[in-house]
Amino acid sequence: MDDPSRVRRALEHALPPDPVAIPTPHQDLAHARTALRNRSRRRLRLGLGALALVMVAGVGVTGVLSRDGRTEDTTTSAGPGSIDLLAMTLHARPYSFDLTPKGWSVQARNPYFVTIVPDDGSASTDPDVFIGKLVITFDHNAPGGQPYGGSGRKVWFHVDSDYTTLSMRTSRGEPAGMVRIQYPDRAGWQRPTMVRFLRSVHVGAGARPSLG
Amino acid sequence: MRDEEFVAFTSAHREDLLRTATLLCAGDAATAEDLVQTTLTSLYLSWAKMRAADSRLAYARASLTNAFIDEMRRAHRRRETYPALVVPPAQVADDPDLDLRRTVLAALATLGPRQRAVVVLRHWHDLDVSQTARLLGCSPGTVKSQNARALAHLRAALAEVDRDVVRGLG
Repeated sequence: MDDPSRVRRALEHALPPDPVAIPTPHQDLAHARTALRNRSRRRLRLGLGALALVMVAGVGVTGVLSRDGRTEDTTTSAGPGSIDLLAMTLHARPYSFDLTPKGWSVQARNPYFVTIVPDDGSASTDPDVFIGKLVITFDHNAPGGQPYGGSGRKVWFHVDSDYTTLSMRTSRGEPAGMVRIQYPDRAGWQRPTMVRFLRSVHVGAGARPSLG
Repeated sequence: MRDEEFVAFTSAHREDLLRTATLLCAGDAATAEDLVQTTLTSLYLSWAKMRAADSRLAYARASLTNAFIDEMRRAHRRRETYPALVVPPAQVADDPDLDLRRTVLAALATLGPRQRAVVVLRHWHDLDVSQTARLLGCSPGTVKSQNARALAHLRAALAEVDRDVVRGLG
């Protein structure tokens, strides 16, 4: 098996002898064009949303200044579109979190993973669909991605096309392994907030590692 | 322009990508097809990068492998879902290589996703250690050790299932 030609021959045996019916190039093209259209619509919606937020913010500032010519501190704990983390425990046994993202709730939990979804109903109700959701997992794989700078427990982040995954070793006393959170892009999560939320995770004894 | 190039590329290389995906997914045809479609769509959406690539096929294979690794990271994909090789009963009688195919796929399915990717890149696409390491975003040493471990695992898995098959591969 160490001989490369033998390995290649073994792999050849793994393939079906006849090609299965596959989509035509034009079917692939139609699929890709649909994805392009959806992306364009999404970007347009985001652009319009951002423009509306800028306009609302502008009107708000004008209103505050116009009252007596002085500015007032109207800052909240997070800016528009960002995530507030509340100092409340979020239970999703066998996992728990010291912090709770405001406007998000646990959708599904089991020994292998937890999903947390925005309360606005934008995420699928199908627990096996992870698009637009936070996905918390536990596994025995190596940390993946780049180390995150800064003090505190070491965190690694990995950026993909539609989501960012942060990983961290579990604490002493918890099942040994890596705990990871997959954050969807365009859901308002900023990197420091992602790190804070990840560091608030506790992995309970009942957690089971995902394989692969 | 992009559409014509995409159709030409897909006509020429879709089968190659599907074979690679089938190996990466240890014979799970449905997941392999999903993976190819995801990859082709992603390539179409950033076609400028394809145009800039030295080799479009190599770029597509790299995208496919990355899509596979990403997919494996997702929580709902676990290794035990992969060994499924469903063959209609009629085909069993007609295909003398089926047992061998089943055996090799079962052995591939026992590998972790990254080990499987290393085996496919190194031995199916004939990439060298540094090319494989670059593509997988790890060190050459990691590729070497993963490859060695994967081959040892394959050897053991194949031997366990059927010693005659192992001899046949020689």
